[in-house]
Amino acid sequence: MKQILIKTNRLTKQYGAITAVNQLDLEVFGGEIYGFLGPNGSGKTTTIRMLAGLLEPTSGEAFICGYNINREPARAKALIAYVPDHPRVYGKLTAREFLALMADLYRMPPEYARDQAERLLTLFELSERADELLEGFSHGMRQKVVVAAALLHRPRVLLMDEPTVGLDPRSARLLKDVLQELARQGEAIFLSTHILEIAERMCHRVGILKEGRLIAQGSPEELRQQAGRAGGSLEDIFLELTGGAEDAELIRSLGEEGVS
Amino acid sequence: MKIILPSPLVEAPPPRPFWQDFKLLLTAQLRVTWNKIRHWPRSVRIGMAITSLAFLSLIVFLGQLSYGVLSQLPPHIARGFLSLIFMAGYGALIFFGITTAFATLYMSEDLDLLFMAPVSTRAVFAVKLLVVAAGNSITVLIFIFLPALFFGLLFGAAPLFYLWAALVSLGLWLSGIAVAALLNLLVMRIVPPHRSREAVGLLGGIGGVLIALFFQLPNLLIQSGQKIDLPGWLGGQQKMLQVMDLFPWGWASRALAGSAAGAQWAGLGWSLLLLALGAAVLAAAFLLVERGFRRGWISLSQDQGGRRRKKHRQPRSSGERVRSEERHPLSLTATQEPFPKASAWRGMWAVAKKDLLYLRRDTREWFGYMIPLIVLAFFIGQHIFLFSDTSRSSLVTVLIMYTIIFSGNMAAQSFGREGESDWILNSVPLAGWPVVWGKLLAAILPTLVLMEAMLLGTALATGLSRGMTLLMAAGALLLTFAASAIGLFFSINNCRYHPDNPRQRITPGAAWLMYLLNLVLIALMSLGLLYIFTPAELTDLLREMPPISFSWSFPGLLLYFFYLLTRPFFWAPLWRIVTGVGVAGGVWAAFFFGFMAATVRQSRKGFRVEIVTAAKQIRLRQPS
Repeated sequence: MKQILIKTNRLTKQYGAITAVNQLDLEVFGGEIYGFLGPNGSGKTTTIRMLAGLLEPTSGEAFICGYNINREPARAKALIAYVPDHPRVYGKLTAREFLALMADLYRMPPEYARDQAERLLTLFELSERADELLEGFSHGMRQKVVVAAALLHRPRVLLMDEPTVGLDPRSARLLKDVLQELARQGEAIFLSTHILEIAERMCHRVGILKEGRLIAQGSPEELRQQAGRAGGSLEDIFLELTGGAEDAELIRSLGEEGVS
Repeated sequence: MKIILPSPLVEAPPPRPFWQDFKLLLTAQLRVTWNKIRHWPRSVRIGMAITSLAFLSLIVFLGQLSYGVLSQLPPHIARGFLSLIFMAGYGALIFFGITTAFATLYMSEDLDLLFMAPVSTRAVFAVKLLVVAAGNSITVLIFIFLPALFFGLLFGAAPLFYLWAALVSLGLWLSGIAVAALLNLLVMRIVPPHRSREAVGLLGGIGGVLIALFFQLPNLLIQSGQKIDLPGWLGGQQKMLQVMDLFPWGWASRALAGSAAGAQWAGLGWSLLLLALGAAVLAAAFLLVERGFRRGWISLSQDQGGRRRKKHRQPRSSGERVRSEERHPLSLTATQEPFPKASAWRGMWAVAKKDLLYLRRDTREWFGYMIPLIVLAFFIGQHIFLFSDTSRSSLVTVLIMYTIIFSGNMAAQSFGREGESDWILNSVPLAGWPVVWGKLLAAILPTLVLMEAMLLGTALATGLSRGMTLLMAAGALLLTFAASAIGLFFSINNCRYHPDNPRQRITPGAAWLMYLLNLVLIALMSLGLLYIFTPAELTDLLREMPPISFSWSFPGLLLYFFYLLTRPFFWAPLWRIVTGVGVAGGVWAAFFFGFMAATVRQSRKGFRVEIVTAAKQIRLRQPS
């Protein structure tokens, strides 16, 4: 039987009169990579931040491995790792010091943590610069450090907001391989992305969010069937569902104008 | 709907002359500056007006003083005095010029854009240097032009004098800015781009300390009375005054003194020499700065380039790499046994260590510690050189107040230090006491070391008894803990972060409330201490007070409450001291543990750092 690792129950977040996330019901299973898609401002980051316990919902509940993230935050947070959309880290720490800090904050035994940190530094090709301050790292390098820190304590649930932004193709590929391996080992990966190719090739299921509401959910194949576009790409389905199809037409017309 | 795009550019537009580019860029720069001023918040306008008034009154005071000094001097000594003022002005011009040039050239956000545009890079740098010069015009006005003007008025100089005064000011201004731009080239080369904000903070901090000391000048001069004999001192420094003639500020004083004495050709000659020097150094600086950027000697990007210290490591051979990877295979298996949990104390120490590393590595943080040191050094110096009974008592008062305010202030910075990385401490499972106690440890460790060192220094400087020193040490310890607990509470609830200024980490309203609570803490703890060490004068005074009877009204109740507080002063010494210890200890424990518990509770709920933008407008980071 599949284990539900992430569950939301009518999860809602309001900023004044604006409803960023509206009555969201989600279930993500262990061993699944769940892609969270939506146009800018649709509520993806808000949802992820609520799941990570960084933001309190206005109403509704979110559960991580059965623990309510707002009522039992310490238990839930011990099982998750969060990778934010921008790798904002402590610039005055070195990569190695940052990983050691994260290990201590997750109460990892020092010897084990050191060993695991070295493996991850090697894996993400950070060993050479592990003793340099993070403020001197490029965006992509910092992103790799944040991803390494997220994998350090072997979370059951990985929440990732645009994880491949800023990564070079080699690192992006490595991250995809690592995520697939983690999923194979039974962990739940919940990632938001604008790169539909990643969602199509990597994700077992995809949820499309528009104006805070989940408007479609399923495997890419199921979404194609729902949209009645058997041979269509996920991009076409996404544009159709989120109202971007008109823009696509407009762009195509530009091409025609150029030719004529 | 179809979009109709303009037809593509077939020919490149003709090149524009330098002056046209310069005019275009200057207009844009003026528009940016004007818009910036127009959008200043009201609080900033009021602050600027108050600062300007304070500065003006200081200048008037110093001007009067200089005028008075000049009138007592023979002309050749007056020239030396003028030379000294010019030297101070030239130094200030170079120092503040470096800061402005660094911010304008190295931290400029529009250089990338301007370099991409089809305008000449020379026009870009000409405008940038003009901005640097304009930014330092007040220094020239205060330290060079106004003293020259007063000198002319005092000695009844001919009208031509004022023309030479303008030329001299212009010459010193140009050469000072050019020297600043040249020195800034070295600073830009040394400071890596990712530490540029820190460098500006450091330069700004030094500037702030200099300005603070400058504002202390009237206080020192008033307190010293007749002890400082400037004319007499200058009279004995003939050699130094002669050496100063070799430098631009000496030339400036020669030009003006000569003109005031009627030698207009000498005035013209020295003024033109200064102007020529200014133009030559400026031209050299302009060419070098432009070439430095164009050839990549100075980096444009904030993320890379510049000189960065690199650790030289031998590249690993492929065989070694394979062996290393064999030794460290990727281990992410969920099938492995979960690791046994380490002690939460490690987490607490990790938080403290992180903050301590930040304090050590961010040079801007040092100023938080240097300012009280400088101010206290000022008071100790005042006590040593201008000894009086009031200086000792004021020194002790300053120390107590500083212990409280400084400890609270340092702790108040704690959660704001998380800045944009606040997600880290919020997303880990260790929120609560490990985080809060870690923050407390990082806040009090350096504070305690500094405060105890200052205490020892004060005790030695003022000749305090050993018992009194020990008592003050214990007091400093307790005060540091309690004030830090209050500071942490206000920090977690009101933290904010300004990327360019690490000192603005708490809202001003919260800071004032924190200081008020600190005063309440001092008052209540002082009551306990008074029960322990009751001065005879106090009991004599209280004995003369009429007895107060109980009544059911608010003022009556309040009065009776204060009356009850005075009763322990008449108890037997043992009971009085026990009550004193109980009150002081109880107040301390209530403040310390109360505020710590509240901070721990808030930490469990989570905290959010408000980001303050450069325009001083606070925005809450709102996710999409």
